[in-house]
Amino acid sequence: MSGEALLRMEGLTKDFSIRSGGLGRSRAKLRAVSDVTLDVAPGETLGIVGESGCGKTTLGRLVLRLLEPTSGRVIFDGVDITHLPEPEMRPLRQHIQVVFQDPYSSLNPRMRVRDIIGEPLGNFGYNNKDMADRVAEVMEIVGLPAEMASRYPHAFSGGQRQRIGIARALAVKPRLIVCDEAVSALDVSIQAQILNLLRDIQQEFQLALVFISHNLGVVRHISHRIAVMYLGQVVELASEDDLFSRPLHPYTDALIAAVPEPDPDAVDRQEPLSGEIPSPIDPPSGCYFHTRCPIAQDMCRTTSPEFREFAPRRWVRCHTPGEQAAGGG
Amino acid sequence: MTAIGEEARRKGWFARLPGALRQAARSDFWLRFRRNRNAVVGGIIVTLVTLAAIFAPALAPQNFENINMLAVWSPPTPENLLGADALGRDILSRLIVGARVSLLVAVSVLAITLTFGTAMGMIAGYFGGWTEALIMRTVDIIFAFPELILAILVAAVMGPGKLTVIIALSLVWWPGIARLTRSLVLSWKSELFVDAAIACGTRPHRILIRHLLPNIVAPIIVRASIGVGFIIMAEATLSFLGIGVQEPEPTWGGMIRDGLVSLRTEPYLSLFGSLALGITIIGFNLLGDGLRDLLDPRIRGR
Repeated sequence: MSGEALLRMEGLTKDFSIRSGGLGRSRAKLRAVSDVTLDVAPGETLGIVGESGCGKTTLGRLVLRLLEPTSGRVIFDGVDITHLPEPEMRPLRQHIQVVFQDPYSSLNPRMRVRDIIGEPLGNFGYNNKDMADRVAEVMEIVGLPAEMASRYPHAFSGGQRQRIGIARALAVKPRLIVCDEAVSALDVSIQAQILNLLRDIQQEFQLALVFISHNLGVVRHISHRIAVMYLGQVVELASEDDLFSRPLHPYTDALIAAVPEPDPDAVDRQEPLSGEIPSPIDPPSGCYFHTRCPIAQDMCRTTSPEFREFAPRRWVRCHTPGEQAAGGG
Repeated sequence: MTAIGEEARRKGWFARLPGALRQAARSDFWLRFRRNRNAVVGGIIVTLVTLAAIFAPALAPQNFENINMLAVWSPPTPENLLGADALGRDILSRLIVGARVSLLVAVSVLAITLTFGTAMGMIAGYFGGWTEALIMRTVDIIFAFPELILAILVAAVMGPGKLTVIIALSLVWWPGIARLTRSLVLSWKSELFVDAAIACGTRPHRILIRHLLPNIVAPIIVRASIGVGFIIMAEATLSFLGIGVQEPEPTWGGMIRDGLVSLRTEPYLSLFGSLALGITIIGFNLLGDGLRDLLDPRIRGR
């Protein structure tokens, strides 16, 4: 992968221990994120897509250093931030901001909008005058009237709240924003507004975005490259065009097929996936996807496939990439 | 000249005060407060007791230290409205001055325990790990002792007196506040706005003070106002046992004790002392109940 990456995740793995049994000390391990290697170039949008429970939110929290990985490294702008103590991490946080999924829980109900947006500014040395100016500035960028600055979050709609969240992330002029399901809680019409806002902001300020969502359509709308996750692993990484025109991994194929078609006469390309997502506490042997894969072979049940560059800038974790298209077509 | 004065006065804060008061009276909280009978009754009792305590010397019809051998164990008379005690001192005057001691102890204990208990609970809940273990095990140890035994222990070490009562009651009262605060912090710190604050570089002490404290302060206030009843009761108990506030300063607990010797014949001292104590405790408990109804967002929706 290229050398000038703004953000690099190298073999990131995160285990959570789960108490099992009443009094016993025996603990099960849940591998939420498993050996994820990705990078994000400056000004690029990397989409991360997958079913709920596939570890995409955990991955976002690892990047934000809200969690510390079990193994692997997070490198931001050449600095290894994986195990940086919080006091040394804090100055770097100016460059890595976040927009969360839930626009209700992510804003403190007891703080005025002005203080919410101004909080990161205060942390990074803005004085009161500059802070007020910058708050007004970012409120205008995200399309909120400046006179709303003295209100409390409960006076706003979901879409407006998400704009407040985006304004807070934008205020300190970060170089990377992690958007964790940033539009999932919103109505479809509002989703489009917020997505377009994010895209405009991204282009105007040359921001890098890590855009996490379970909605392939939303990810497609905004991303340059897309990583598909399944059970904590990245199973495919490709540019938006390549991924949609010729998916290599059977799981990607199934995800694309599951996006609802607006045309009622369209013929479904493929049967929907059957079965539940396996438990990450006890993942399947071999390829994690073989239990639901339409083209699984004996090899898939025993041997775990490597994440390899199958074609230039097209990475996939599958023994037989691209076969499902030939088989189905 | 006067016109300029008028103008300045009109723009001064005191000119806007009546308007601000009217606005406060119309605010949502006051409207609901006035509709809550517990809160109103409790509020009136607490206000009266507080006023009595503040203006005690002016309100007391006689000097509470005045000994009058002619009025020993006097029943209620026009001179001594609630009777007199073993030394002929006016019971009403001593009750009013006694309110001062009770409230002073209660306010001191509240100030100490709210500050210390809330701080400890927040630190334990937010940071977790060995800090939490240390604080919460200390809390458990104090909880393991019966409150009164611990207070008597402190009194035995320090000798009786007002300061002893305050320290002893603070010692047994802060763990409850700390436990409550910790559980509140645990439930609020998983909110995303805390993660958002960490991610935008806010330091832990600011997260505690600016993000968590404003959200947990209401239940703590409720707990405190209900706790005032307990503290006044405990202070009376310690004074009753003779390890609290000492003569000649009057306390309700001490007066109840002093009246016991003549309870069968002249019950006025114990009777009126107990009444003052009971009514005050009921007042604080009603106010606490009312505040809980008003401040608890789960009940607010009705």
